[in-house]
Amino acid sequence: MRPTENINIRFPKNLQEALRLQAKAGTRGQLLAGGTDLMVQWVSGTPPPRRATSVWNLPELCEIEVRDKDILIGAGVTHAFLVDATPIHRHLPALVAAAGTVGAAQIQARGTLGGNVANASPAGDTAPALLVTDGTVLLASLGGIREVPLTQFWTGYRQIDARPDEIIQAFRLPKKGAARERFRKIGTRKAQAISKIMAASRIRVRKGQIVSAAIALGSIAATPVRLTQVEDFLAGKPLTAKLITDAEQLAQKTVQPIADIRSTAEYRRWVTGRLVRDALENL
Amino acid sequence: MSTIQRTWKLNGKKVSVRGPAGRRLLDYLREDLDLIGAKEGCGEGECGACTVLIDNEPVASCIVPIGQLADGTEILTIEGVEKKRAGRLLQRAFLECGAVQCGFCIPGMIISAYALLMRNPRPTPRAIRAALAGNLCRCTGYAKIIQAVTLASSRLPVPTKRK
Amino acid sequence: MSKAASQPRRLVGHGMIRVDADGKVRGQTRYLNDIRYRNVWHGVVVRSPVARGRFKALTLDPAFDWSRVVVATAEDIPGENVVHMHDRTMPLLGEVGGELLYRGEPVAVVAAKTLKLATEAAGHIRVEVEELPPLLTLQETVDIFKKTPKRFVSMQDKNIVKGDLAKGFAEADEILEAEYWAGHQEQLYIENQGIVVFPQKDGSILAEGSLQCPYFPVNELNDPLQLPPEKIRVRQTPVGGAFGGKEEYPTMLVGYAALPALKSGRPVKITYERHEDILFTPKRHPVWVRYKTGFKKDGTLTAIECDYILDGGAYLTISDVVMFRGILHCALAYRCDNVVIRGRVARTNSMPSGAFRGFGAPQAIWGIESHMDAIAARLGMTPHALRRKLHARAGDTTPTGQVLSKENGATECLNLALERSQFAQKLRQSSRGKLRKGQSKYYGAGLSFFAHGAAFTGDGEAKFQAKGRVELARLEDGRPGVNIRVSSTEMGQGVHTIFTQIAADAFSLDPARIRYPMADTGLVPDSGPTVASRTTMVVGNIVHRASLDLKAQMEAFASLHFFRGEKARLENSQFHAEGRKPLPFGRVAGKMLDELGEASGFFQFKLPADIRWDQDRFRGDSYPGYSWAAHIAEVEIDPITCELEVTRVTAVIDVGRIINPILAAGQVEGGLTQALGYAVMEKMATGKDGLYDASRLQTYIIPTALDTPAYDIQFVEYPYSFAPPGGKGLGELPMDGLAPAIANAVEAAIGKRLRTIPITPESIFDALHDPSGATP
Repeated sequence: MRPTENINIRFPKNLQEALRLQAKAGTRGQLLAGGTDLMVQWVSGTPPPRRATSVWNLPELCEIEVRDKDILIGAGVTHAFLVDATPIHRHLPALVAAAGTVGAAQIQARGTLGGNVANASPAGDTAPALLVTDGTVLLASLGGIREVPLTQFWTGYRQIDARPDEIIQAFRLPKKGAARERFRKIGTRKAQAISKIMAASRIRVRKGQIVSAAIALGSIAATPVRLTQVEDFLAGKPLTAKLITDAEQLAQKTVQPIADIRSTAEYRRWVTGRLVRDALENL
Repeated sequence: MSTIQRTWKLNGKKVSVRGPAGRRLLDYLREDLDLIGAKEGCGEGECGACTVLIDNEPVASCIVPIGQLADGTEILTIEGVEKKRAGRLLQRAFLECGAVQCGFCIPGMIISAYALLMRNPRPTPRAIRAALAGNLCRCTGYAKIIQAVTLASSRLPVPTKRK
Repeated sequence: MSKAASQPRRLVGHGMIRVDADGKVRGQTRYLNDIRYRNVWHGVVVRSPVARGRFKALTLDPAFDWSRVVVATAEDIPGENVVHMHDRTMPLLGEVGGELLYRGEPVAVVAAKTLKLATEAAGHIRVEVEELPPLLTLQETVDIFKKTPKRFVSMQDKNIVKGDLAKGFAEADEILEAEYWAGHQEQLYIENQGIVVFPQKDGSILAEGSLQCPYFPVNELNDPLQLPPEKIRVRQTPVGGAFGGKEEYPTMLVGYAALPALKSGRPVKITYERHEDILFTPKRHPVWVRYKTGFKKDGTLTAIECDYILDGGAYLTISDVVMFRGILHCALAYRCDNVVIRGRVARTNSMPSGAFRGFGAPQAIWGIESHMDAIAARLGMTPHALRRKLHARAGDTTPTGQVLSKENGATECLNLALERSQFAQKLRQSSRGKLRKGQSKYYGAGLSFFAHGAAFTGDGEAKFQAKGRVELARLEDGRPGVNIRVSSTEMGQGVHTIFTQIAADAFSLDPARIRYPMADTGLVPDSGPTVASRTTMVVGNIVHRASLDLKAQMEAFASLHFFRGEKARLENSQFHAEGRKPLPFGRVAGKMLDELGEASGFFQFKLPADIRWDQDRFRGDSYPGYSWAAHIAEVEIDPITCELEVTRVTAVIDVGRIINPILAAGQVEGGLTQALGYAVMEKMATGKDGLYDASRLQTYIIPTALDTPAYDIQFVEYPYSFAPPGGKGLGELPMDGLAPAIANAVEAAIGKRLRTIPITPESIFDALHDPSGATP
């Protein structure tokens, strides 16, 4: 018998019921979405919780709404669904590309955007692409909706700014508009790989001038990070070869990479600059 | 522990399911139903040997708790795939192309290939590689597997096009 | 009868569909964990918590209810606590009072009705140790070897000496010295290890499970279990991949399961989950190899001096023969009159290293094939010009003094590979660290050329004299047919199919009448382990000859009983005699079975009489035959990220007669893909905690379908005529030579040589930014 069989899993029919369960459960209310991270942890040594609440397929969490300026994506939307959701492709290309690099087909079919964010791994594949949108997380509780900027949502290694009674309902992600997005993931192989480093960028250029730049990295620190110093440096400047070189060097100077089994700090530092260059050269 | 009771459509047949909500689908198939085609290679969703189709999507059954599969869920395993035309074509092509060696990954591989052909009956070699990237094979180097999926695809009737 | 009809059909050389594939594509084949055993208990191994320590005590928690479980420790071993592999140093279980030599070394086995209970009980056993400082890695031992050689502990030494090394260096215009490293590699069969042991009423045991070599447990556990070979019966279940990983290790599992089984009288099954399987089963040996070579300006090699050190782990197990095969491949493929090769097996406090496809040869070829390119670069020659000049060919003498036979496709492999891949042109297009016009990535092409010795090393086959049988039998449909009875195991490589082909041709019989039951030591003679690229060559010959033996008996029987003494011959499943109506095979076979009860053909393999081998001096004919290959790898390296992609591999191979071209190509594609992983992604080392640092499929990364290049595979056939049908050994060779071809291609791409595999974006980055050289 597997340890997961001991879990008392509740299956609420809708978000309201799930929120009530969470309010009652307090800190013990482990949420379970597609299980692509949690089920693995629970069969490989991490003791499973006594109780869990399944939010898989909750109808309120599975919606995508394309609006004027932004897109609402339900937390329960799977990566496979994002990859197939053509109406959002031109608005959030980096996110769609990132979703397509999560595991392989089997994981994309079960893994959800909300799960990927809530799991708060520094290697969460969708995090950098979400970060560059300057979007928000919509947290539902019985008290209503609380909206937290994604840039403030990951508070530490595997830590998020959410209360035990809150459930991530959706993400509000501004469309990229005239900006260009780019996403690159460097792994040990081409599929089914936890990244060595990832970079997403959303940069807007008008008449040779950088209007705004958002650049985010994953697998480089305890949380996914934005390269704010590089972004500030770029904003308002004309896009020249020298600017690109300066930005590359600034990125290498300011980034604070970790070393772990997947890569070295030196490589991550260097490639951070290269990825900044790559983003700027492909505008 | 919480126990669930559900009715699924498994390999085209209705089945009543009862068990702990957190029981892995893989264990349920193998131990309760003796459907041993799906294998456990890693237990953490990495190798794909346990792949089955849930509502037409390939999933790693080693990380799916049965409680999350609602009434009416359609599940297809290797044991049911030969009732499908594309399934039989795949099995035949795997034989002809020499795509099988030790065979341990093959049920999962065929399920993933079947899911691909259902979505895209004429996949490019690149699309085949991408669709099978979640199924590890240590014997074949994938070349003959990709060849077999291509061959099966070529024998599927041409998808009807809009006129 | 028309003339055309009298032509016997031939299966050898044709891509017959695998005899075992139907069950596999339908998910019906039952591997060990798919078999429903009743009343089998589950065993769990209790292990050393430290890499090295004095074993003080093993205590059972008094609060736990031990009545429902059985615990076996060293005290329960009926005989001597030693597993007899190639030496007698390794205990079956660590013993209180002794020293534990690696993290995870088994000290007890717990069995219970359920795996959960056994696991829980194992958690209530305390292993008390006094920790001692361990020596964990090859790097540490090589440091000792270089600085204080006297302190270096080698579990086995062997030297090869040819000619006069000092003279060779004196004649040289140039000397080049370099070191090459490779780490562990995990076999990663997709089916984990597993064994079930049934104790029998007469005190014997029956074991079955996923293994390559059923006779190993039969012959290696006699001392600890106090059972003679005939009281240990082993049979194979369908094997979900092995690659050497299920060669020597299953013996240990049989031993572990046998102890609680014998103690309790209940069958005990031990199966590993992936994490335990990766952590506590043997890996490919890490290697350090140093070449010092002397050569003339025209490329003539005058001297090769080589040190080859393997990390054997805590016990020798089979590392001696891995090292032997390794040093025999260190300078095998090139002409050189003065050679010294020194092989060592270092002892470290880590899981004993073991068999993995190639068995020491990939490590050797990784070194020499990288080094040959380095020599070419020093000389300003192209890599292919140097190899064309130096490669060994028929009539040349190997480092052990063996004269190479004519059955040798070396030159053709090299030339054809160069031609098919247009290597010379591709080399000119290589980036050498500077993107050329039209290139967005660094491009490089690299070559390797090598041989692989087929069958047991030295006089192994001569001493072993493998045996096999084919027998007449009633098949499951009640009609007569033929059973192949050899101990070679089907593990995916296709032996059940190719032996069916060989037997069908020898008999001239419809293959549908031939069966090859799973190997069972109670039923099959010992035709040896399924290892060493010996199966097609040696056991294939046994099947061929035993089939001819039985065929002759049947023809004599037919002549006597059906054709009134007229000479009979079996052809295309019918017995023919001059002027007589042909009789179907089943008619004669059925009568033969009815009258004689049984009939079988037998053959015992012997090497040619003129084969000579001196094991002490390591001189003479080191292998009965050699397979040859040339590989060309093409790579692209992303200048933004240093990511490496192998885009194309050309492989031209001489493995003698090809029995089944589809299966043979499958072996090559699979082996090349394992070699690809070895070269560019599979990274594993012993960590500070004494455990492998990559122990799950999330961290130990093997190629997926998206990572494999286009393969262009071509066979040239120079059959081994002594042993029809003439295969020379295919299994291991595809693992041997791709890594150096890739490293050579990387050098062509970025202008830097990498001397450690796997080659990763990080190591390419390091090489490009190495301050000791100019950054391209």
